[in-house]
Amino acid sequence: MLRKRLIFTLIYNNGFFTQSRNFRLQKVGDIGWLEKNYGFKDLAFSLDELIVLNASREDKDIMGFAEILSRLVEDVFIPICAGGGLRCMKDAEILFANGADKIILNTAIYENKNLVVDFIKRYGSQSIVASVDYKKNDVFLRNGTKKIDIKLPDYMDYIDSLGVGEVYLNSMDNDGTGFGYDIETSKKVANNISMPLIIAGGAGNENHLLKGLMTEQIDAVATANLFNFIGNGLPRARQSIISNNGNIALWQ
Amino acid sequence: MKITIIDYGMGNIKSIIGALKYLEVKDITVSSNLSEIASADKLILPGVGSFPMAMTNIIKLNIDKYLEEAVIINKKPILGICLGMQLMGVSSSENVFCNGLGFIQGINREFNNSNLKVPHIGFNQIDIVKNSILFQDLDNFSDFYFVHSYQMTSDDNINQSICHYGHDFIASYEKGNIAGVQFHPELSQTNGLKLLNNFIKYF
Repeated sequence: MLRKRLIFTLIYNNGFFTQSRNFRLQKVGDIGWLEKNYGFKDLAFSLDELIVLNASREDKDIMGFAEILSRLVEDVFIPICAGGGLRCMKDAEILFANGADKIILNTAIYENKNLVVDFIKRYGSQSIVASVDYKKNDVFLRNGTKKIDIKLPDYMDYIDSLGVGEVYLNSMDNDGTGFGYDIETSKKVANNISMPLIIAGGAGNENHLLKGLMTEQIDAVATANLFNFIGNGLPRARQSIISNNGNIALWQ
Repeated sequence: MKITIIDYGMGNIKSIIGALKYLEVKDITVSSNLSEIASADKLILPGVGSFPMAMTNIIKLNIDKYLEEAVIINKKPILGICLGMQLMGVSSSENVFCNGLGFIQGINREFNNSNLKVPHIGFNQIDIVKNSILFQDLDNFSDFYFVHSYQMTSDDNINQSICHYGHDFIASYEKGNIAGVQFHPELSQTNGLKLLNNFIKYF
């Protein structure tokens, strides 16, 4: 039986990992802090996948980000998805060479279709994740700062036609609130696309994760909530999902 | 122990190196050279991406000939992972029909059930159908991480384990010195580390 996935999203911004609330970033700590305080490598044993997003808003230093990525994923034996501000083939090459198994694209999906097609040709559709930031029926690019004219359902049709491997659907209204996922919109989107759907934005406790995983149309749940889930929060959440018959992987 | 990871320019080799280091393999080489392939104790054929592009690279680098000598003539143990597992089959119909290395009687085709989400992504359970070296000390129906749009089937009963997604397909084969796994052991947490350890120690 195909399992569903529990994913953690680390948001990186100019040297620091951050907590996002409605897309405002709050500095939490650098990689040394993450390793020291939270034993990140141990924590990864509670995850099915890790997404690392470069949300630096001014100068996207891909090399600096890649260095952090490389250090972060050493001794972590789960799929790693990385991205944020990729502008050319070289950017993707750098991330794949530094530990990424997949790349995640947001603005480029809309603004640079040719590049997306080239990525798919080179790395295969299964290596490309399309990230979508939305508010009600509107879609936003550039870290949630630029609204586009296409509404969410039509945008999902467009993404479905591109041939990417997965969709990462992030509710900007729910982001960082800890009030739970936007399950209703997620269901509608899932019914519109032919590839797996990861939902993000709003998980504040293990019941929110479980509710997402128990929703038939949803393939994976992601949380970027450092405060609520780092420490023993994630191992506890995973255990609780398993004891509530959530369909996630077991490791010996 | 020297393990050479065959480098033909595709796939995330870093995570495989990381797993081998974690399992304390002393000598790990990433190469497409004849001498590195010939001097290895064991080989790993990795890969993510398109089958035709991979075969083009392999032929351009003469890796098909080097592997023929190492694997078929000298019987060096080899583990194919994901696309690497498929490449050792006879052919693939990915985009266009394309011949593989032909070490194993397996044919690769796209998942063709319109109700399925493709790619097949995530952890899925493995049904071990024959005695297996790779799955030693792993329970039946253990979870492993898959990410692929094409899958291998065979009329030749080569399957050591199967996986179910829409229909049954080959999750792994072990034939003499040749093994292949459709999933990614290097991305499958402790289950995957155990399997790689079995390849290193016992295969």
